[in-house]
Amino acid sequence: MKTQKKNTWAIFWAVLAMLYFFVPMLGTFIFSLRMKRGVLSFQAYQSVLADSRFLESFRYSATMGIITVLVSVLLLLPTVYWIYVKVPWMRPAMDIITILPFVVPVIVLVFGLIRTFGRPPFQLTLTTFGTDILMTAGYVIITMPYMYRAIDVGMRSMDVRTLTEAAQSLGSNWFQVLTQVILPNLRIAVLSGALICFATVMGELILADFLVRPALGSYMAGIGRSKAYEPAALAIISYGLTWVCLGLIQYFSRGSQEQQLTGR
Amino acid sequence: MAQLELTNITKSFGGTIAVQNFNLAIETGEFISFLGPSGCGKTTTLRMVAGFEIPTSGTVTLDGVDLTNLPPNKRNMGMVFQSYALFPNMTAAQNVGYGLKVAGKPKDEIDQRVDEMLELIQMRDFSRRYPNQLSGGQQQRLALARSLAIRPKVLLLDEPLSALDAKIRLELRQEIRRIQRQLGITTIYVTHDQEEAFSLSDRVVVMSRGLIQQVDTPIQIYNHPASDFVAEFVGHINLLPVEVAQAKEGLVRLGSQLIRAGQFEHLNGRPVRLAVRPEELKSGFAEGANNLTGKIESVTYLGAIVRVHVDVDGHLVSLEMFNERSLNIPAVGQPYQINFPVEACWLTNGEKE
Repeated sequence: MKTQKKNTWAIFWAVLAMLYFFVPMLGTFIFSLRMKRGVLSFQAYQSVLADSRFLESFRYSATMGIITVLVSVLLLLPTVYWIYVKVPWMRPAMDIITILPFVVPVIVLVFGLIRTFGRPPFQLTLTTFGTDILMTAGYVIITMPYMYRAIDVGMRSMDVRTLTEAAQSLGSNWFQVLTQVILPNLRIAVLSGALICFATVMGELILADFLVRPALGSYMAGIGRSKAYEPAALAIISYGLTWVCLGLIQYFSRGSQEQQLTGR
Repeated sequence: MAQLELTNITKSFGGTIAVQNFNLAIETGEFISFLGPSGCGKTTTLRMVAGFEIPTSGTVTLDGVDLTNLPPNKRNMGMVFQSYALFPNMTAAQNVGYGLKVAGKPKDEIDQRVDEMLELIQMRDFSRRYPNQLSGGQQQRLALARSLAIRPKVLLLDEPLSALDAKIRLELRQEIRRIQRQLGITTIYVTHDQEEAFSLSDRVVVMSRGLIQQVDTPIQIYNHPASDFVAEFVGHINLLPVEVAQAKEGLVRLGSQLIRAGQFEHLNGRPVRLAVRPEELKSGFAEGANNLTGKIESVTYLGAIVRVHVDVDGHLVSLEMFNERSLNIPAVGQPYQINFPVEACWLTNGEKE
């Protein structure tokens, strides 16, 4: 009896949460179909996809997202690994440092970047390439809490130190340990961190706005200010893209579980 | 010349000395155990041999070559860890072949060696399994095979059986010894379990607080412990506070009862304690032996052995008897007579540690 009652409540809350989540989505979706008066159509979607600025900004943000993920992994993976193996007492300090991007508003970060790197001796903002470097740096900082935590959780789930020592005693150098033993076992953690980083970069607005680069976030904000139905269509598209990314992650992690037959 | 030599090894972490003045020469093919309570420095010493720790001072030499500052991946030593440390992303065969792959050996050679090693541990049928599909015992056997695949000069085992249950532990212990004998590989085995150390080793190094207490064969360590620490750590022992009665006659007094204890020369003042192993004590009276009377304080059944505590003038004396069918198990509170041979006991000065 008691468990039955509990189950009823669980279902009730689950339905409530789903409604909270999906009703606005549904509303946005229906609204996005109403561009043509009186009929439901995909006109808004056509309009969005036909706009060359959308594709351009999408491509730009996706490229930045991939670069950000690569830089983050290259920067954080060896760092976190080193902390686990050699200086574990640094971990609390790292926890605080990696939370800083949440504390410092992005607007402050952008002004800091512009003021520091927009004037001699750096003057990175003079060229688009230089600005893109600043953008990437900014993105890496903004997404650091997610990537750091994903890697940290992955490392925590295995005995990094002993695995390292085992590999070393079998003749591996540091690079081989990292690429052949540690990274393969962190694949799922790194992938999920990468997804969150990528999604964050795709939706980021302030950094691109102030550094005047054609990112998807700026484009969406601009459309939102000037048009009615297209922003709704864009929201649904970006939501769909996020799901595609999630699906990919799911696919890759399942692949590795099948490889291990029982999974972990 | 010994194959592996540790000379004047000292290791301190910050201000704490973990290992002090460690000297040991190990012959080729010898099986050595480091035995001691946790924190005695046995694992630290092993890690210095493996290269995971650098000694604060002293040297490690293998076949006359100084390894002290050589990184672990250049030492050619196989290591087995308590937690198995198998690579979860690799199959059993890939785990065993990993060291050879890193060394850049050709595939055929790797496959052949992996086969050979899996045969050695009788796990050929498991070559395609992942570590998480194997039992603890199988995982540790695999870890052993992996460490041996690279044909190391020395095999290092860091409490390899501690995470396993009692029955598997016993089986694997015998298997480790069989494989070690078969390959004739020099082995260092770290354990806090004296039964393991004794049953496996040619020589045992008993350690305490970073110092070597005794290095000898198991039988010598048990029968002739170099210190009270060794006597107490290895097996059970009665250490009874006695008064010297007649030094010339070799007599001491436990409560009001006289005991003939032999040698007094090595003693340096008081307090004096009498050491005797519980299994040396017998019930009843024996001519020419030391005889004591008391009453039964407690009786504990340990399966094959029955441990009896006898109160002798306020001092608890423990004796162990085989649980034979003919054994007449005494009742608590009953008066009891015990005896032990004069040569089975010795006197010591040391304080109880």
